[in-house]
Amino acid sequence: MKKKRIHILAVFLFTALLSVASADEIELNYRLKWLFNTSVAGDIYADAKGYFSEAGLKVHVREGSPEKNAINELELGHADFGVASADQVIRALDKGAKIRVLAQLFQVNPMQWIYRADQPRIKTLDDLRGRNIGITFGGNDETVMNTLFAKAGITSKDVKITGVRFDFTPFFKREVDVWPVYFNSQGVILKDRLEKEGERVYFFNPADFGVNFVANSVISSEKVWKNRPEVVKKFMDALLKGWEAAMDPANEADVLMEVKKQDKESNDELRRLQLIATRELIKPSAGVKIGTMDVEAWKQTEAIMLNEKQIKKPVHVESVLKQ
Amino acid sequence: MLFRRIYQFLIVYSIGLISLLLIKTALSLSDYVIPGFGLILETFQEVFDTYFLDAMNTMSVTVLGQCVSIALAFGVGIAGRRSSWMGSFIKVTAYNIQAYPIVALAPIIFILLGDGFISRLLIASMICYFPLLLSVLGIMATPVEDIEHFYIITGRMRWQLEVKIRAFENLSKLTTVISGSATLAMAGTIVAEFIAANAGIGYSIRVALYQSDLAKILIALFLIGIIISIYQGCLETLGEQIKTRWSVSKGGNPR
Repeated sequence: MKKKRIHILAVFLFTALLSVASADEIELNYRLKWLFNTSVAGDIYADAKGYFSEAGLKVHVREGSPEKNAINELELGHADFGVASADQVIRALDKGAKIRVLAQLFQVNPMQWIYRADQPRIKTLDDLRGRNIGITFGGNDETVMNTLFAKAGITSKDVKITGVRFDFTPFFKREVDVWPVYFNSQGVILKDRLEKEGERVYFFNPADFGVNFVANSVISSEKVWKNRPEVVKKFMDALLKGWEAAMDPANEADVLMEVKKQDKESNDELRRLQLIATRELIKPSAGVKIGTMDVEAWKQTEAIMLNEKQIKKPVHVESVLKQ
Repeated sequence: MLFRRIYQFLIVYSIGLISLLLIKTALSLSDYVIPGFGLILETFQEVFDTYFLDAMNTMSVTVLGQCVSIALAFGVGIAGRRSSWMGSFIKVTAYNIQAYPIVALAPIIFILLGDGFISRLLIASMICYFPLLLSVLGIMATPVEDIEHFYIITGRMRWQLEVKIRAFENLSKLTTVISGSATLAMAGTIVAEFIAANAGIGYSIRVALYQSDLAKILIALFLIGIIISIYQGCLETLGEQIKTRWSVSKGGNPR
């Protein structure tokens, strides 16, 4: 009987200790822009490897989608931090949202176009003339392509535009020549599939032609940024540490294992190729610190959107970039 | 009937809009999350022409899809009205197939048929076809004994006459079902456009969603609501007129 009481007491003390420990942790919600996959390896790794808990944070990393928009969730108080693309940030600023950008995850925009190597290589923008180009109407690839057209003086008569979605069939059937992809996810999948059929591919990267449209960044609300600076610092330090570790080739096997736990759709080899491609975009060279803001690219993104009439007035996006 | 439908919709839409604006004010949300009334009006002026054409495009597919499904439902319903093995087979098959969520087949349809007009038409008609079929089967398989008895006894009963009797004796039920199926056909078309098509108001909603532009979505919803209300009102009025004429031609009281 006495032994039983000691056991109960021990269990009670252990539970109490655990709850005290977890009560010390700050609970946060972090809304990603898209589903769990290799593109968010750093976010997954920071969580799985305990970088957040080491900083005294309990972070709920949640998947995103067009319907689950981080900016909306920040305003509604459902999330404390989130990931949004630059066009989302600039559009939100134009409509009065009070947000802050804390780190720019992608140094190179993954939004690119894929085309078969049996077609003439796109060396100048003029080489786009006469091609059937896929565009996601309403997506940021439309804005980027329109900017490229304007730059090269290409009109709608010079090219054929086809609206596309997630189904690659028109590209496989050669109905569309140049297809928009996320270089590190769909790009890898398409390249792999075509190479298995004996076809080689090229990627058309707008940045090579002077159009730097910023992609995903970590954001927070102005309220959180002003009122909880210590939480912002802890979160960002832990997150960027997670990303640095995830992008280190020495941790590749470990990172892939953690991503696999969340993303069961792709196979192991594809995930490995996607991680290599993601590394090129997040940390293009060893000297680049993950999260670095490319202020000029942000300004260019705003200018493009203003020119494309996607926003009504200048928002001076550089004023909300906080690092 | 027509005007009642329209003002009922306007009341519901206004209540929804006011609730959103109240939430916006209460939570101090920016125009990005919930647009203010001024921005909604401004967007309305900007996109009305385009969205109206898109909504009419969707409506044309809806009407066509509904006609196809009505024709199919009546064809199968008439064939399946008998208590023979064929009739029972058709009924059981229809009940079982309708339990399958048709929307789940949409991606296959788009892969096979592309994202053009035919895919939208097929999905719209499939979505409104099965509920319509079940009602038509139910009506056609239920004898109107006190009328049919006379024709059977006198040996003048033909299948065409049987169908006519059952249809006209259940005219108000059929009118309600057909008018209700318009909403289903519209929903089917919008779902198809939302998933993969490159035209129509569902596609415009998808584009607005990419841009997180709730003002555009609200305008699209307004146009969808108002157009479907007018269409349903017209269908109901037409049903009433047919009923009245039928009753008058029979020498009965139209009411």
